[in-house]
Amino acid sequence: MLTLPPPTPHLLVSSSVLKAAAHHYGSQCDKPNKEFMLCRWEEKDPRKCLKEGKQVNQCALEFFRKIKAHCAEPFTEYWTCIDYTNLQELRRCRKQQLVFDDCVLENLGWVRPDLGELSKVTKVQTDRPIPENVYHSRPRPEPNPPIEGDLKPAKYGSRLFFWNW
Amino acid sequence: MKALLSNLMSPLMYMIPVLIAVAFFTLIERKTLGYMQLRKGPNIVGPCGLLQPVADGVKLFIKEPVYPSNSSTMLFTLSPILALLLSLSVWLPLPLPFPLADLNLGLLFLISMSSFMVYSILWSGWASNSKYALVGALRAVAQTISYEVTLGIILLSLILFSGGFNMQTFMTTQEPAYLMFSSWPLMMMWYISTLAETNRAPFDLSEGESELVSGFNVEYAAGPFALFFLAEYANILMMNTLTTILFLNPSHINNTPELFSLSLVSKMMLLSVGFLWIRASYPRFRYDQLMHLLWKNFLPITLAMCLWHMSMPTAFSGLPPML
Amino acid sequence: MAAVVKVKQDMPPPGGYGPIDYKRHLPRRGLSGYSLFAIGIGSMLMGYYKLVKWNRERRRLLIEDLETRIALFPLLQAESDRRTLRLLRENLEEEAKIMKDVPGWKVGESVFHSDRWIPPSTDELYYLRPLSELHNEKLGLQWYV
Repeated sequence: MLTLPPPTPHLLVSSSVLKAAAHHYGSQCDKPNKEFMLCRWEEKDPRKCLKEGKQVNQCALEFFRKIKAHCAEPFTEYWTCIDYTNLQELRRCRKQQLVFDDCVLENLGWVRPDLGELSKVTKVQTDRPIPENVYHSRPRPEPNPPIEGDLKPAKYGSRLFFWNW
Repeated sequence: MKALLSNLMSPLMYMIPVLIAVAFFTLIERKTLGYMQLRKGPNIVGPCGLLQPVADGVKLFIKEPVYPSNSSTMLFTLSPILALLLSLSVWLPLPLPFPLADLNLGLLFLISMSSFMVYSILWSGWASNSKYALVGALRAVAQTISYEVTLGIILLSLILFSGGFNMQTFMTTQEPAYLMFSSWPLMMMWYISTLAETNRAPFDLSEGESELVSGFNVEYAAGPFALFFLAEYANILMMNTLTTILFLNPSHINNTPELFSLSLVSKMMLLSVGFLWIRASYPRFRYDQLMHLLWKNFLPITLAMCLWHMSMPTAFSGLPPML
Repeated sequence: MAAVVKVKQDMPPPGGYGPIDYKRHLPRRGLSGYSLFAIGIGSMLMGYYKLVKWNRERRRLLIEDLETRIALFPLLQAESDRRTLRLLRENLEEEAKIMKDVPGWKVGESVFHSDRWIPPSTDELYYLRPLSELHNEKLGLQWYV
């Protein structure tokens, strides 16, 4: 008698599939990804970012559906090649990658991002308000009252320096 | 079932081939030494003496083990077991081509395990309650831990080249060229240090028959002696596999992945036969010469090479990806 | 004794013996020292050159690998967030069912004196589930296959 809503479908693909698609995915789903990460960073609370997270998944599903519809064959070639070793090295599969990239460019018009493009810092245009007090911190304590009275240095020096004879 | 498989079967699948390799390596040793001295070596048991190691093993294990009456029985029994256990567990992170345990700090594990070997020697020498065994053990320990210094420093400079303690990064590093080409001085010193580390001739002072009546294992006979023997040879094979992986071993996916293990093992066997060749050719070092070789020759050179290997890649921006 | 017997004494030849050939004459085999030295240095230079080039390339490959992670991270994070929240919710309902006979029990009361998000530990997430699921979550990535 779970009262939970039906779950958002997760992506049931293996790591090499994800890795094979990662560069195109990063450039295609840039907007929802950045939106989600910004929310997650600003709110520090996954409960408040469920909507954005769903959009991320929506975009990913859409992305993989498009690949499946248009470039299923080259993509399968590509990720099985990556799956060949435990290191999942991309450099061993440049041939298959080229075929896949060409297919994607032809059918969907996606361009593979250059090296270093995905790791750039990006600005995100968003209409989500900046949350206040994400750490739920208590108000800062009042500063110490100013010391009244006449303060003089200790008469016989510090007690910590008793060897200073 | 899964636990049984991964905790018992896969280690056994590692240990049994290693032990078989050790058995036949002893045969190769005796044959090689025999032919180098213009005699035949064992050739009675089985065709070409192939069953000799089996016969030796059976003989050693059905003999009655002798315990000296004043010895510490506990340590006396435990130290050969420890020796064999350690020398088998060292094989854990070696990629052949896939390691049993893919450790991030595999080389560190390896060095620390082979340092533990010292304790089995030390304990066995002490527990025998015999001055010959004790002196032999002390000499062996002093020699082993001295040579571990250079081994560690050489390893450090190689790690600066490959960018990780994982041995699979070494395979990736050596894809364009063996590390032997760029650092052959290190390899020469490494090879000699492994000779000393495994107490092989010409550094076999711990077992010098003439002056020390067989060193730390004088009091051992039968089964426990066989354990020491197996441990020593397993260690030799392991060290040579490590040398191959560090210096002469490209990645296994390059052109013929199915031949990777074969090429690795044949390189390892060449290096091991080199050990035997050296044993047949060179007289034993004197103890002070041994120590001088390490502390006055190898240590300064390796330190200098380590500095060079730190500064050269930094200068030419050839540092590996350190992650 | 007039007739001095002429004894022919065995003497060295006039001018002395020639130099004695005592040195070992071994044929000089192999390369000379200089050429061996040159080959050694040359192989080192070649090795360094290749190594430096390859290491630069490897750094680039690492960047490529890291970019796949950067690209995939939001997706993985979103899914893991949702999985965590769902587990927490299921635990809450299970707790309500189990503790319904205990008077004064507040279901889902936080142990922290705060209402901000505190990442739950793995044990906390799986404590109402079979032990195998917890083990799979904790150690699952350490098994091969």
